[in-house]
Amino acid sequence: MLERPGPAGGPARTGGIRLFILRRILQGLLVLVLVSIVVFAATQALPGDPARAILGRGATPASLAALRDQLHLNQPKVVQYLTWAGGLLHGDAGRSFAAQEPVSKLLGDRIVNTAFLLLVSGVISIPLSIFIGAYAALWRDRPFDVVTSLATLVFAALPEFVVGVALVVLFATTVFHFLPAITLIPPGGRPWDQPIAIILPTLTLVLAVTPYVVRIMRASMVEVLESDYVEMARLKGLPERIVLRRHALPNALGPTFQVIAINLAYLAGGVIVVEYIFNYAGIGGALRDAVFNRDLPVVQAIAMIIAGLYVALNLLADIATILVTPRLRTRL
Amino acid sequence: MADTPMERLGDLTASTLTRRRLLINAGVLAGGAMLAGPLAACGTSSPNAAGGSPKRGGNFRLGVTGGGSGDIIDGQKIVTKPDQARLVAGFETLLEYDTNYKLQTTGLAESVTQDAPDKWTIKLKSGITFHNGKPLTSDDVIYSLQRISDPKQGLFGTAGLNSVDPNNIKKVDDRTVTLNLKQADSTIGDQLGQYYNGIVPVGYTRAGEQIGTGAYKVQSFTKGQQSVHVRNTNYWRSGLPYFDTVTIIDFPDVAAQVNALLSGQIDAMTDIPAAQINVVKSHSNLAILEGQGADWRPLCMAIDMPPFDDVKVRQAMRLIVDRNAMLQQVFSGHGRIANDLYSPFDPAYDSSLPQRHQDIAQAKSLLHSAGKDNLVVDLHTTDGAAGMVDSANIFASQAKAAGVTVNVHNDPNYYGDQYLKLAFSVDFWGTRNFLPQVANGSIPTAPYNECHWPPKDSNYISLYQDALKEVNASKRADIIHQMQKLEYDQGGYIIPMFNNLVDAYATKVGGFNNGSKATLNLDSFGHGYRSIYFTA
Repeated sequence: MLERPGPAGGPARTGGIRLFILRRILQGLLVLVLVSIVVFAATQALPGDPARAILGRGATPASLAALRDQLHLNQPKVVQYLTWAGGLLHGDAGRSFAAQEPVSKLLGDRIVNTAFLLLVSGVISIPLSIFIGAYAALWRDRPFDVVTSLATLVFAALPEFVVGVALVVLFATTVFHFLPAITLIPPGGRPWDQPIAIILPTLTLVLAVTPYVVRIMRASMVEVLESDYVEMARLKGLPERIVLRRHALPNALGPTFQVIAINLAYLAGGVIVVEYIFNYAGIGGALRDAVFNRDLPVVQAIAMIIAGLYVALNLLADIATILVTPRLRTRL
Repeated sequence: MADTPMERLGDLTASTLTRRRLLINAGVLAGGAMLAGPLAACGTSSPNAAGGSPKRGGNFRLGVTGGGSGDIIDGQKIVTKPDQARLVAGFETLLEYDTNYKLQTTGLAESVTQDAPDKWTIKLKSGITFHNGKPLTSDDVIYSLQRISDPKQGLFGTAGLNSVDPNNIKKVDDRTVTLNLKQADSTIGDQLGQYYNGIVPVGYTRAGEQIGTGAYKVQSFTKGQQSVHVRNTNYWRSGLPYFDTVTIIDFPDVAAQVNALLSGQIDAMTDIPAAQINVVKSHSNLAILEGQGADWRPLCMAIDMPPFDDVKVRQAMRLIVDRNAMLQQVFSGHGRIANDLYSPFDPAYDSSLPQRHQDIAQAKSLLHSAGKDNLVVDLHTTDGAAGMVDSANIFASQAKAAGVTVNVHNDPNYYGDQYLKLAFSVDFWGTRNFLPQVANGSIPTAPYNECHWPPKDSNYISLYQDALKEVNASKRADIIHQMQKLEYDQGGYIIPMFNNLVDAYATKVGGFNNGSKATLNLDSFGHGYRSIYFTA
């Protein structure tokens, strides 16, 4: 099956990419298996014991023993892990200790809600930050560049809960009153049913991610604009528009994609804080609740979802980088 | 003493009824005491002066602190605080407490009488129906009480109805039931008014349809998020309730809850943090509702474990506390200082005992005579209820003045193997009257006797049994005073204060009673949402 990459431009090139993607998917799966072991081990190390967290003050030795038995906490750890991991392969994430419901039922709507928030934030922040970064590089040291540099530095330094709270104070509760302070998604409802309610959480996430991408895009673009091949293109007499679009931008995007992927993956974690601020019914709230209740199956399921997102985003970033970078593309 | 796992939370706000007070009010002193209506529906605390007459309709949106995937709806149990808000929307009790913490026959029972020390009779009002139109009858009462008495159900009321023989609850006619007790018990009236002893229809289960007699029935419920309750069109109190729907929303984060109130997304919220009270007050369309709670966070000294097996050490520790300072620091002053005794709303509470104040010199001298100069003790606490960790830390800092070193251990596994076996620990309790509280925490058979009270050589237990048998309220109060004196002089509890319930609401909502002694938040959620409304 192994296909030798052919010379540049030959048919082996696409085969090379396919093979590369296949290899990366297999690597990703391996990473997920390792992550599942780490997640399982980490949840076992959480201070406090689920049975005790559930029983609270009523935790008599007898009731603790009975509940531990019911939750299969008395089985050897390896057996517990294999049961859990085996279930995951069949799409069964187990039952929540606290809610006594399948994890999939508990998280189903919340996953959709969180995914939508991440998607909207990504769709807004990626083009926006690429545009701002490239534009700032083009107008280096001009007012636009100076202002955006300062602004991105400030927003990059601010944790998202500060940004979120400031936005609430500014637009919802104290200064102005025209946006809802929290996102109330009625059960069974969808976040896109009431777009006005997701403006502030989306804005918070956009402000959390954009600065990093802007800065890396700007740096990368500045480097490319000073490169020999851009100078060559200009000397050739190509119009500046073509120079930028055909020669500068694609080369500057490569490193930026990596940063975008890392930042989007970071969003999947940052969303926990943002959901908390806005009482947004997503997996972040569920994770917080589950950690508090020592609801291990839910913690594990959410950790695996976030890990899966990391792997998927990195895979996409690698593929995108290769597609926009001729040097890498032809080397496959 | 089967007790339920999550009683901790129930306890935070469990109301304590005063049957004794009721009897006194009714002018009944001996023999067949009787609680009978009609009595005033509300106490003397004044409804809010928001102005405006009641308007029908609208969706009342309530934000409740806490909640999560452990949420339940059950007419006889709660796990999280939003569960309380949901329970009282759909379920009602036989007797009710008014806003002065007096037991009244405003509930489902027309009368509840103690015919003999070990026999009670319940007579239902006529014309009451459940949400599905089925009339309320004796069978439902029997089913409800048997469900509460079943230890396997894990309900809050089980310990309180310990004296009830579930197989000896007799139907006299469609509206009359007699309870034949296993032993004399003067506290049954109290128990029947506890919000978590709701009356459910025959065959009720938590997993089945949520059918009660309350003002609102459940339309939808999603754990950890929200529930919607629609007006019960068959409601037996004519003309009530006012709202079309009540929406109860969980808020794990109190800051989001305050923001939702400030931006008008909810109409009322429970448990406003002290730091936000002035923010709310600065908005003319919002108001604070403060109820006189009687929740308490005792520091518990086990009287049979060193160094607290010496009564002088216990007395010294009680003199170390600066109660006012602790109330300020833990609850920003929203509460009242306490006198190491619980159940302040009980009519038999002995307020003639002198208020104990900080007295470091006396504490030092007691410790010295006990041979415990430079005492070092471990104090165990956990984040089980607001104020538990703060109380421990503040006590530790106050104790330094008396030369006592207190090492505070904040342990997430506190409610486990060690609980109730510790020499010195912090715990939390809700409001109860004295005798029900003793049954829960101050006798050897109590489920949570942190202090291992009473001392072996004391007559406390025989006094307790006498009090349960005593039908005459004033004689019973005399016995209770003797019990309180024993705890005041020798007890293991340090009870520095009782904290208030501080909530906030939009002033377009009328009908809340400020200063109410209702034991649940927001004037017991506007008495199950039936006495509150949007103003015209």
